[in-house]
Amino acid sequence: MRGYFGGYLLLGLLLLVGVAFVSVSFAGNRLLAPYRRTPQKRLTYESGVDPTGEGWAQSQIRYYVYAFLYVVFAVDAVFLFPWATVFAAARFGVAPLVEMALFLGILGLGLFYAWRRRVLDWT
Amino acid sequence: MSYPESIDYAAIAPPVVCALGASGVLLTDLIAPRARRLLPALAAGVLLGALGALAAAAAAAPTRGTFCSTRFCSYAVDPFTIFLQALFCLAGVVIVLLSAASVEAEHVPAGEFYFLLLTSLAGMLTLAAARDLLVLLLALEVVTLPALILVGLRRTDPRAAEAALTFFLISVLATAITVYGMSLLYGVTGSVQLGGILDALRRAPHQPVAALAVVLAIAGFAFKVAAVPFHAWAPDTYQGAPVPVAAFLSVASKAAGFAGLILLLAACAPYAPSWRPVIAVLAVATMTVGNVAALRQRHVVRLLAWSSIAQAGYILVPLAVPDPAAALAYLGAYAVMNLGAFGCAVAVAGRRPRSAVADYRGLFADAPALALALAFFLTCLAGLPPGIVGLVAKVVVFRSAVDGGMSWLAVVMAVNTVIALYYYARLAASLFDTSPDQAEPGRGDATHLLPVPAPVAAAVAITAAVAVVLGFWPQALLGVVPGFG
Repeated sequence: MRGYFGGYLLLGLLLLVGVAFVSVSFAGNRLLAPYRRTPQKRLTYESGVDPTGEGWAQSQIRYYVYAFLYVVFAVDAVFLFPWATVFAAARFGVAPLVEMALFLGILGLGLFYAWRRRVLDWT
Repeated sequence: MSYPESIDYAAIAPPVVCALGASGVLLTDLIAPRARRLLPALAAGVLLGALGALAAAAAAAPTRGTFCSTRFCSYAVDPFTIFLQALFCLAGVVIVLLSAASVEAEHVPAGEFYFLLLTSLAGMLTLAAARDLLVLLLALEVVTLPALILVGLRRTDPRAAEAALTFFLISVLATAITVYGMSLLYGVTGSVQLGGILDALRRAPHQPVAALAVVLAIAGFAFKVAAVPFHAWAPDTYQGAPVPVAAFLSVASKAAGFAGLILLLAACAPYAPSWRPVIAVLAVATMTVGNVAALRQRHVVRLLAWSSIAQAGYILVPLAVPDPAAALAYLGAYAVMNLGAFGCAVAVAGRRPRSAVADYRGLFADAPALALALAFFLTCLAGLPPGIVGLVAKVVVFRSAVDGGMSWLAVVMAVNTVIALYYYARLAASLFDTSPDQAEPGRGDATHLLPVPAPVAAAVAITAAVAVVLGFWPQALLGVVPGFG
């Protein structure tokens, strides 16, 4: 268990134990459990509700635009959080404030564009 | 490093002006849709403003850098930067002139068009000044992403969508390969700044992984310049895109690719024995495939696309020597003559959108000035008098290859020039073909006369004038190419 490749040995052992555990428990289940198939039991399980309709469903294309706008602002929040912890530090001056305003301004331009092009209208 | 860093705003002014101008154009279109007719003027004004900012910065101090670590700067303004930024601004103005009429006629959304064009140009201006792998990569993406949308902007045309998709897929692949090469390069040298990479590679001259990294990083730029085997997107994309966008891709976007390639190769100079053969093979393959394929084209934009692939091969020749100054000189001449040739194609496509070679037959009878200009630009691209500027550019490249001890490359290029002569001369001659059995009835009547929109005519006239002047006075170009002596 020593040295660089010792770790891989441990990993291999864990893999063997895992495979053994799963095969033993499934094989045990198979041997011990009683099986009585009915059409009801073979239905797709859908939260206890009887499944209806097809598995294929289309959603409104407008969701795509909203999802897209959501991603834009989610990414922007990722930048905002670390920035918020440091922007008030005295040694930085106003530079971080200006830089973030520029960044948000560009995003805002994108939102303004979407609004003027009526992308945000649902109907 | 102190924070806030002291940023040299004069140095970064050209791309900043261009980016702010792009936002301004978009806002103008959103707030005042009626001012749409003014957008081309506004876009051209933004580019001239960026050129002015560049001139002001260059006049104050010819070399300056910003975003510096202790020894190297990530953004530098030097003669190389100034030459390329000026080239991009001027090419941008010509492309705005070429687009003005066709944007209106083809129902391309004008605000988006000029916004994307200026954004892409802002990326090019940054790329010319980038001295850092990260800035280089970011700038390359800023160049490429708006160009993808520009290609597909004619939304009702399925061919435009196909062109944009082809362009997108190949671009993503090339970027992935480049990023992989750059990451290896960073891993080997421990620096993202080109100066630091050069130093580190000098200290460790024989590392296979570094050679691999250089070759991989070259691939992405080979895509931008449409070098074989990364050329397959070019003919389809040029044909599907609006013709002014094809001109933009074949001149400005290609020049940006060469700028990146030159910067990267300079940083990897200690590994020249590894990459010189690669570039030489790329050059031979690119010019040969481009010229041979151009022989068979029946569509003028496709023919120009293959011809510009072949021209990229000629520009790669001095890079294999390596003699970047000769490549820049050829690039400058190529920008003028290719913009002119595409400008003529824009003028004809406005009236005969099929753009087949047959549509150009007897053009002299319908539009004499246009036919003369196109014939002149074709002789420039072929490198024949009266297109002396093309001849001078070819001589520069030949001399560079022979002086650099790569005479075999010069011989291959000479053979290629002869092949290219066939299709340039055939197209040029057909412009003056008035044989009655070929001409359609009514040709030469007033109904067939080609009205050329004023901005397009101006663009063709300007490029023709510049090409003529540079032909008689090549020092005007060679004198401003950095490092040319």
